[in-house]
Amino acid sequence: MRREATGLGRRGFGAAMGGWWGPLRGTMLLLAAAVLLTGCPKKPEVQTGAAGGTEVKKAEPMVEGPAKPGAKGAESQLKDVFFDFDKAVLRDDAKKTLDENIQWLKTEAAVKIMVEGHCDERGTNEYNLALGERRAKAVREYLAAGGIDDKRLKSISYGEERPFVLGHDESAWKWNRRGHFIVVK
Amino acid sequence: MRRLVRILPCLVLWVGVLSVSGSAQVDITVTRTVVQRIPIAVVGLRPARLEPGGRDVAAEARAILTDDLDFSTLFEVLPPAFLPFPPREIRLGEEDKVLPSLNQLQVQAMVAAELQERGKELVLEGRIYNVSRGTFLGGKRYFGDVAALRSMVHRLADEVVLRLTGERGVASTRIAYATAERGATELYLMDYDGHNPVLITGNRTINLSPRFSPDAKLLAYTSYRDGNPDLYVLNMDAGRRTKVSALPGLNISPAWSPDGQWLALSLSKDGGTNLFLMRPTGAGLRRITNGLGISVSPSFSPNGRQIAYTSDRGGSPQVYMMDVEGTNLRRLTFEGEYNASPRWSPRGDQIAFVSNRGGGGFQIYFMDPSGSGLQQMTSLGANEDPAWSPDGRHLVFTSTRGGQKEIYVMHADGAGQKRLTRNAFNNFAPDWSP
Repeated sequence: MRREATGLGRRGFGAAMGGWWGPLRGTMLLLAAAVLLTGCPKKPEVQTGAAGGTEVKKAEPMVEGPAKPGAKGAESQLKDVFFDFDKAVLRDDAKKTLDENIQWLKTEAAVKIMVEGHCDERGTNEYNLALGERRAKAVREYLAAGGIDDKRLKSISYGEERPFVLGHDESAWKWNRRGHFIVVK
Repeated sequence: MRRLVRILPCLVLWVGVLSVSGSAQVDITVTRTVVQRIPIAVVGLRPARLEPGGRDVAAEARAILTDDLDFSTLFEVLPPAFLPFPPREIRLGEEDKVLPSLNQLQVQAMVAAELQERGKELVLEGRIYNVSRGTFLGGKRYFGDVAALRSMVHRLADEVVLRLTGERGVASTRIAYATAERGATELYLMDYDGHNPVLITGNRTINLSPRFSPDAKLLAYTSYRDGNPDLYVLNMDAGRRTKVSALPGLNISPAWSPDGQWLALSLSKDGGTNLFLMRPTGAGLRRITNGLGISVSPSFSPNGRQIAYTSDRGGSPQVYMMDVEGTNLRRLTFEGEYNASPRWSPRGDQIAFVSNRGGGGFQIYFMDPSGSGLQQMTSLGANEDPAWSPDGRHLVFTSTRGGQKEIYVMHADGAGQKRLTRNAFNNFAPDWSP
């Protein structure tokens, strides 16, 4: 194998090079020495031994176990609030809903809640995580300003990862840009 | 003299490898422009059936090799019918019989290959030729289980690219992405052509934003595994996961510096969502943006000196650029109410990003790092999450053109857009391995 291949190489190469390398000989020798030092193979790499070659393996999964279930939250009669696209400003209807939620939270003084911020599917997942965070914080701040002890409140963003309604138009999106409440204790 | 003559082809290759222009011209002496492909013949791979009547693995190998070389945009594989001999009947050792006729057809390159069974393994041998000069450029032999056939052929395809152009091929690279399935979003790795998807999380929560380290050994990602969106680094050799950032609020949108020494990420621990730098171990946390706005999706320039990212400091999400210390801030996009997800090309000449300008929904665009030279790359459905192949010749992205979110690839000129993921779920957030 090697002999044949080398023969081809010389024949082709001699024809291609002609005599142009003559004047460059000194430079070429230097470069050639550098090539030798860097280990460029000068012979075909095909190995003829039975064990020759590189072993290739199929990729394996790297699976971790399921996460430990956290403290399970519960749904409640606290109502969701909704937002405009790319906005975390509380609309008037949202404030009205939150005022009702504040009344309920005042009667249920032992209840602690998690405020979830959600987005519709438009825009990037990473930006929407930050937008959901901002919505959750806006709700949390409104509740605190309304007299709910912030120690009873936590917040988290799910961005666009947990849509409430599946769909790809405003009829779904308007329900997915929301603040949602989970009773954690 | 004899020795010099033997060394010279090697020298040509060596100089080519060092060329940084990306259009490294090595053994094929025709000046290659962006669109000119090297005509190549794939010969050999005589039918090899695993068992009588079973699948012809050599035909599969031939198809995979042809697809790889075509996709590279560097080669044009000649259709078998175009060749003056039946290409699959050529055995290794008979190459010199066909080289002259290929040369007459102006075919510039040839790969001859053979696939054989050795016990329970397959052995794939390939030899690469410069047809114009009649030179043998190198050969490789790979062996492995039949399940590794695709990977073996991808390795050979990359060897062909390397030997003939001096560039590193991408056929053996992989794509990480997220799949939203049955109430959880898990991360997967697949081959660059969409085959062999394997699960790499499995915690049944939300896992997002996979990002390969420059040495491809580590994968940074966000996971809700412990309830909060925290940042993890997965060591893919050891299968070990490390939680590297778990501050209150968001620990999201990682990006590796080109030297692998830093991770940029977004944290919301103290009002606003700001960009920070830290070591991949989680040490040395350093803030680089300030304020109550949103700063996410950082992307380092290839020289590591600048970061492009998404910020809403001007009232809507727009692409900004700053020096890595957080100084010299400038806005790159002004048109449209939503510009985001910048990704610097490996050569540094383009930034891919997402924009909803022009009323056509979210589409992928390119601009140069000054913010000019705008090019629209997609128009069907909503398209997001652009990420470059390591050679800068292709992009992977998310598109809804087929109804749900799926992973697609395209060449860097926008051509050849094709779907990679084929499952019942939404697939998104791709990242292409080095």
